[in-house]
Amino acid sequence: MASTTIDAAATPPTPTAPPSHEVVDRTNRRWALGFAIAALGLWAFYKFALESMPGGVQDAFQTWLPLTAVNEAIVWVICAIGLNIVVGYAGLLDLGFVAFWAIGGYCAGWFMSFFLGQYDITFHFLSAAPPTQSGIHINWWIVLAIAGAVCAFFGILIGAPTLRLKSDYLAIVTLGFGEIIPQVFVNGEDIAGFNLSNGTKGITPLDPITALPVGPEAVSRPLGPFDLETKYLLFALIVAFCVFVSLRIREGRLGRAWLAIREDELAASMMGVPLMRSKLAAYAVGAFMGGLGGVVFAIHVNGVFADRFNFSISIILLAMVVLGGMGNVWGVMIGALGLAWINSTFLPKLGETVNDALDTEINFPSYNFLIFGSILVLMMLFRREGLFPETRTRELVQEPERTELEDMHADLEGDVR
Amino acid sequence: MSTAQPAAAGVAPGAGGLALDSELITVRFGGLVAVRDVDFTIPEGSIVSLIGPNGAGKTTFFNVLTGLYKPTTGRVFLQGEEITALPPHIIAAKGMGRTFQNIRLFGLMTAEENVMVAMHPHLRSGVFGTVIKSRRQRREEREGRETARELLHFVGIRGVEGEYARNLSYGDQRRLEVARALALRPKVLLLDEPTAGMNPQESARFVDFVHRVRDERGVSILLIEHDMAVVMKVSERVTVLDRGEKIAEGSPAEIKADERVIEAYLGKTGTEGSAR
Amino acid sequence: MTTATAVEQAEMRIAMTRKEAVGRLLGVVLLLGVAAWLVLNLVTAPSQFFNSLLFGIGNGALYALIALGYTLVYGIIELINFAHGDLFMLSTVFSGFMMVYWLGAEGANPASWAKLLLTLVLAMGFGATINVLIERVAYRRLRRAPRLAALITAVGMSFILQWVGLRWNGSAPRLWPTVVPEGGISIGDVTLQYSTIMVVTFTIPVLLLLTYVVQRTKQGRAMRATAQDQDAARLMGINVDRTIAFTFALGGAMAGAAGLLYLEAVGTTRYDAGFHLGLIAFTAAVLGGIGNLAGAVLGGFLIGIIQGLNDGLPYGFGQKWSQTVVFSILIMVMVFKPTGILGQPTVEKV
Repeated sequence: MASTTIDAAATPPTPTAPPSHEVVDRTNRRWALGFAIAALGLWAFYKFALESMPGGVQDAFQTWLPLTAVNEAIVWVICAIGLNIVVGYAGLLDLGFVAFWAIGGYCAGWFMSFFLGQYDITFHFLSAAPPTQSGIHINWWIVLAIAGAVCAFFGILIGAPTLRLKSDYLAIVTLGFGEIIPQVFVNGEDIAGFNLSNGTKGITPLDPITALPVGPEAVSRPLGPFDLETKYLLFALIVAFCVFVSLRIREGRLGRAWLAIREDELAASMMGVPLMRSKLAAYAVGAFMGGLGGVVFAIHVNGVFADRFNFSISIILLAMVVLGGMGNVWGVMIGALGLAWINSTFLPKLGETVNDALDTEINFPSYNFLIFGSILVLMMLFRREGLFPETRTRELVQEPERTELEDMHADLEGDVR
Repeated sequence: MSTAQPAAAGVAPGAGGLALDSELITVRFGGLVAVRDVDFTIPEGSIVSLIGPNGAGKTTFFNVLTGLYKPTTGRVFLQGEEITALPPHIIAAKGMGRTFQNIRLFGLMTAEENVMVAMHPHLRSGVFGTVIKSRRQRREEREGRETARELLHFVGIRGVEGEYARNLSYGDQRRLEVARALALRPKVLLLDEPTAGMNPQESARFVDFVHRVRDERGVSILLIEHDMAVVMKVSERVTVLDRGEKIAEGSPAEIKADERVIEAYLGKTGTEGSAR
Repeated sequence: MTTATAVEQAEMRIAMTRKEAVGRLLGVVLLLGVAAWLVLNLVTAPSQFFNSLLFGIGNGALYALIALGYTLVYGIIELINFAHGDLFMLSTVFSGFMMVYWLGAEGANPASWAKLLLTLVLAMGFGATINVLIERVAYRRLRRAPRLAALITAVGMSFILQWVGLRWNGSAPRLWPTVVPEGGISIGDVTLQYSTIMVVTFTIPVLLLLTYVVQRTKQGRAMRATAQDQDAARLMGINVDRTIAFTFALGGAMAGAAGLLYLEAVGTTRYDAGFHLGLIAFTAAVLGGIGNLAGAVLGGFLIGIIQGLNDGLPYGFGQKWSQTVVFSILIMVMVFKPTGILGQPTVEKV
């Protein structure tokens, strides 16, 4: 079917293939619809159906799939989608993504609590906090935007000096940042006399959130700690936003540049793609979503605590992206939901069940290191494309990186600066 | 339109000024001088070949033109504008398109996407516009896609626009590289051993194709080529490099008769090219 | 139209070198700042200065040993072996069990010293075996795979080893009796700890041995050849697989030795020690110039000293910023001089 003559005029016109973007659009629409239905179904189930179920079923759900675990999993999903932009789309290994999660969380801590009241700052804006309370209290939707912007800024700040580095050096440098930033928060109780983070005591509680800043009582009432169903819906909306942004950018000019960089940096730059700017953009967009995740997590646990931000979060996020299928946002969502659930609910509950039944004392949660480590290793060895691969990724990762031809022409492998 | 044009029928060399001008280019790697004091020009609208034995510094010189290497000394001008040592993507955007000796397509992007990547400098939509799919962005994408298809059809790729580049036939991949480079709207197109791996018939057709690209796209073309038959047929001027230095320059006929060129090729004990 | 005047040419050269000049200036300013800081501390608190310095040298020896493992592996297959730090951690735990439970070493007596030597050999063997196993099971299959895949695998391996450490050592730090006694030789207020003496006296022969192996033996030659060009090495009849495995063995042995020495110097083992020390050691390798053996040693001592001074000096950031200081160094080296102190700038092939 491929025409093999150079002369176009000599080739009889063949029917043109369906444009690839239309196929992609159709697939995405199907996935989006599936997820939307599942998400709404889950909400309706918890909101209306669960109460009328027999006690045994209720207990089972409370044990194995409590809504709070679902909400926590959503936080992971948001961050994993952000990391997917960096790792999956642009092919840059980031081992310090937890930094953005932390920064986002502290944005919530600073702008949605009494905390900055210690410096006699009082500012209220569309917040559900009592108007008499000191500190900065901004509506959480706005805080989301702020946190995203701050994280994007930090993403660029971190990326600008380091994105020139070779991929593996970049991994190490991001890892370094992922260690430094949480340490700043842990030690942040007294930075030259300034209390940045309240140290390990953390900042808690945060302002209650509202679905909408104004409007009838039904949508503007502050959500209490037990109003998990509404929070679930709101968090799911943020996921939808992240997915939407991912997909849109992916199909546009910037997305093409990312893919090109992932495949062949040198060729991409020779085709007019600015490497630094495109990579920085990937960092910024990814970090933006990390910031959203940070805020949502802070709201979910009603506070920010410095010692929660450790290296293993970065690695678990990476495992989610790798398991789901680098580059495929739907696969990444599934990977993140699954692993988050295993981490938060399945391992501890399985441990309790087994230990009760057999009268043993096996520490099941400690197996998460083994599980996440094995996922990374096994997936890389046997199924690099992930469980739900995007066709491109599947073929890309199966491909040896340096072909013989490229080795022969190593003279082209100079540094692009 | 696809018959071989005699070289003289092309745009007369020098008529429209210089498409590319490089002055006294020297590239030194540590103690090794890869290219020494090379002056080199491409007249507007002409087809020029760069030949020389292996290791003569041709590819290094190419890499200087495209910004991959910074010359140790010397300057490069693209239509009078200095581009020496600019980053590769800026040089590309200013109108320097190239293909690669060992095809470097984005294998897991479709043919169409490959071409669209190279439109990057000419498209304007940013992150925000892309996310909200602004009207301008939609129009830009649609037009980009149309241009891409038009370019693909121009180089003779039809019906496989949506295939991954790596699944295309070898010939199509070579053509796709040209289409991709043309999407930059280049002033100068650099072809690095474009006929490598082609049989004589394909090579002959390729000569026609190069003329067609020049005539219809209005670009000046520089080739690195090993196949002397192709070089003699396609080029209006030939420059010969040997051990990093320019040893001859002139019309194909002059080059054929040049003592130093013959010596450079035959003096070496039959490593390559001598039979041609 | 394109005649360049000499002035223009000169201007261009200036523009091209300005970036480098700024970088160099920053470097000089930074070094001067460090020098001023050192002098200030030396003058105000001389004994603290020397104590911290000696402490740093002891740590530096350990970092050097671990850094060698990173640099050896990176030198030969260009992989950052994330799991290396955790291999070191496992070696500390192994050494603890071997010394205390299995060999029953107690107190500073000749029998204990013999057991210490025996454990050193066993720990080196342990480290080498595990490292070779990891290479065989995971990395070897990924040698031709994209870099990202090998890196992710290494990260996963690191997690798996950490899990082993967690199960073996327990989640709490474990305290061990050491053979090397507390205290040290004091001259005035300055004390040279026995543990520092021990670490340095053990490190030096190990380093000499390594140098001998790499420089003088057939295997060492094979290693250097493989590092330069695997395919060419293969054509020359070198068994590349075995050579790479041997390199991993060497690196693992260094980590094993470091494990025992750490145990004796510090007396505690913890399952997450590998991550932190590994990163510090990696920084050392990068600082010295990754792929360069002498560089790893130099970087190890430098980082050890910097960290020791930072933690111990009156005008320092203090211990709680220790990691931040080290990682800041890492990032600055990466940004300003990615080749490190002794690293060769990558020579471009023509």
